[in-house]
Amino acid sequence: MFSKILIANRGEIALRIQRACAQLGIASVVAYSEADRDSRAVQLADEAVCIGPAESRRSYLSASALLSAALVAGCDAIHPGYGFLSEDDTFAEMVRAHGLTFIGPPAEVLERFASKAGTRTLLAKHGLPTIQGSPMLRDDAHALAEAERIDYPVLIKPSAGGGGKGMRMVRSPRELQQAMTICRSEAMAAFHDDSLYLEKWLEENRHVEVQVIVDRYGNGVHVGERDCSVQRRHQKIVEEARSPAMNDGQREALCEAAIKAVVEAGYENLGTLEFLLDRDGNFYFIEINCRIQVEHPITEMLSGIDLVTEQIRIAAGEPLGYTQQDVSLRGHAIEFRINAEDTAHDFRPQAGIVASYLPPGGPGVRMDSHMYSGYEVPPYYDSMLGKLVVWGSDRNEALARSRRALDEIVLDGIVTNLPLHRALVHHRTFLDGEFTTNLLDRVGSAAFLDAAAAA
Amino acid sequence: MSDAMDEQAQDGRTTIARLVEHVVPELIERLTKSKLGELEVRENGWRVRLRKPLAEAMAPPPAATRTPHPVMAPGVHAASHAGVGAPRDSARGIVASPAVGYFAPRRGIEVGASVRSGDLLGHVDVLGVRHEVVSPVDGALRTFEVESGQAVEYGQPIARVEAEA
Repeated sequence: MFSKILIANRGEIALRIQRACAQLGIASVVAYSEADRDSRAVQLADEAVCIGPAESRRSYLSASALLSAALVAGCDAIHPGYGFLSEDDTFAEMVRAHGLTFIGPPAEVLERFASKAGTRTLLAKHGLPTIQGSPMLRDDAHALAEAERIDYPVLIKPSAGGGGKGMRMVRSPRELQQAMTICRSEAMAAFHDDSLYLEKWLEENRHVEVQVIVDRYGNGVHVGERDCSVQRRHQKIVEEARSPAMNDGQREALCEAAIKAVVEAGYENLGTLEFLLDRDGNFYFIEINCRIQVEHPITEMLSGIDLVTEQIRIAAGEPLGYTQQDVSLRGHAIEFRINAEDTAHDFRPQAGIVASYLPPGGPGVRMDSHMYSGYEVPPYYDSMLGKLVVWGSDRNEALARSRRALDEIVLDGIVTNLPLHRALVHHRTFLDGEFTTNLLDRVGSAAFLDAAAAA
Repeated sequence: MSDAMDEQAQDGRTTIARLVEHVVPELIERLTKSKLGELEVRENGWRVRLRKPLAEAMAPPPAATRTPHPVMAPGVHAASHAGVGAPRDSARGIVASPAVGYFAPRRGIEVGASVRSGDLLGHVDVLGVRHEVVSPVDGALRTFEVESGQAVEYGQPIARVEAEA
């Protein structure tokens, strides 16, 4: 096992990793940018190292700054969290070349799963139905030809990252040409990588993903699926497990197919396979995320498995130590991403000071957040302030607890998307479990909120 | 991790342990007793270089009130630094570290020396790449806040230059 881990991330996930390390008795060092000097993780840290200025490219995205910090602090492993360098195989290789361990899949595994098109082909070979898609696009002409082949509507997606940045659905060659430029610049701004590819767009689809854990010796389990269909502009807002859109037979078929395919394909460590689910219950593999995900706590609530701990254990070479039969999923969990966004003004990201903050409590309620009263939200990074995670013995109980917890939370001084969450938990379509990924965008988030306020 | 890599890493750790426990303390002792400013030992692809802290030699009396800045201590920062490039608080002549790594003063530089804005004072070594530490103002080099070979974090004060009146 490791003796000291560098946490190469910020916000709530830095805190989450810090907590896992503390519970495992492993020392941790928080790497932070100048803008995060007053962050909760730095305040709680036994050790913290300033790695660079606010600008991510020179701090959280700087492989050499992070690695140098790890060496200076005497760490033997680096946890990359999510986003930033979490799926960067070059960084993983650099970490290994300096005699440290990257907490995630080993570099060669990351590399094998780095190409979206390559991964679709690989996992199709191991029995997964996959969505039609293109390889990386060379230029506009290539994009037009590929879109023609796949057939409109298609979704333009950036090769790097996630969070809906650089993504656009287009229905015609003209729309495609216009959107390509926007997607390229958005992807460049967000990930410093403007390579794009295309994916077939399914109307009225749901987004369902499967959590897998695979050790170095080929032992793997799935920890069920998560439904992430409540999205705004391809950005997940609410996630729940289990999926209200699937029955037990469908869930088992999906999860079994996912774990079988990744184990056979030689995957290692924690991973999430994302699928689109159509109206008829057919699922299509879209991509794999080789990292811990924002929405991992709902799976932890159902399974009792600490996923960050598992990630660390597996990276240290420990065997999984349990089988699929030992994994039992109980009840229902929902996660609400609380973002500093102004719902009244096109969800514009907000920065400023959290004047007062009191997390909700009570049975089944977990709040993962780096906020505190007086915390200044820096303007340089994503707008997520925390995640409210609620568990109930069934979906109705989880919903009742969610409504109560959302009313209880005190969060003043900064504008957040709490009004959207409060509206969602009373909305018929959500209560019926019939949300699709494009619903909010189709009716318009503002119209959705107005309608909820009038009801 | 492959066996070869494992072995290599194991060898590396053994070497580091030996360096830390035996070689370096002995070198420090020899260097302290000698009049030399610098000692270097090479072996099996490893190189250890010790340099006497220039500040100690050149700026008597040693500033007893100034405890060495603990690199990893959170929230203990003499100054906040914002802006692009190497952070610096030029008004007060504080030279801040441009990166996280190990500091080495420029060979031959002495406390008390007169320096011009942009003059090289030393380097911060980041994975073998040297990042320049330069004077933010014209003036006299007052102190080095860190010793040669000491780990520094981004923005940490490395030296003070008293600006010309």
